Amino acid sequence: MLTIARETYDALVDHARSGTPAEVCGVLGGTHGDEASTATTARRVENVAETPRTRYALDAAEQLQAIEAIEAEGLETVGFYHSHPAGPPGPSETDAANATWPGVSYVIVVLDGAHPYVGSWRWTGEAFRQETVALR
Amino acid sequence: MRVTVEVVGEDTHEVEVPADATYADLLQPLDVSPHEISVLVDGRPVPEDATVDAEEVTVLRLIKGG
Repeated sequence: MLTIARETYDALVDHARSGTPAEVCGVLGGTHGDEASTATTARRVENVAETPRTRYALDAAEQLQAIEAIEAEGLETVGFYHSHPAGPPGPSETDAANATWPGVSYVIVVLDGAHPYVGSWRWTGEAFRQETVALR
Repeated sequence: MRVTVEVVGEDTHEVEVPADATYADLLQPLDVSPHEISVLVDGRPVPEDATVDAEEVTVLRLIKGG
């Protein structure tokens, strides 16, 4: 399960909306657990993919800076987020083919409906396993 | 030469390599694929085929998809 602080949830949706039609991405910080994590901060990272409307790639140097900033606050890297401005409402084949970080949450903000949908999946090393998302 | 290799979010390794080793050579003892990671020195990505010129190296799993 991933619990997302309300202001962090709003920050993810705001970032996704402001980036449309391109995908946006970033790092989530908080407390990490194998079964239950809590995200209390989101740090934006530039999407450096060549085709940002359909792909995302975190800038490596910015990604490292974001992780170090989260750790400097005494928090852990909970996972990463990106947006799907036009769906699908879950990890794409490209997401699965490129997933690298076992045990963390991959959050996707989907904007193809009247209201945003925020889902989360843990990468097991072989597949994405969807987890419950709760707000607090 | 001896190089400290930190895999972000995982372990830190001490790796012994020849003086003419490349950053890719540093990865061989580790459980990471060169296609999945970026090697950084002082916070900046370095080419994996470049000769190692640092005592501390960071290995970062790339986050990308569609």
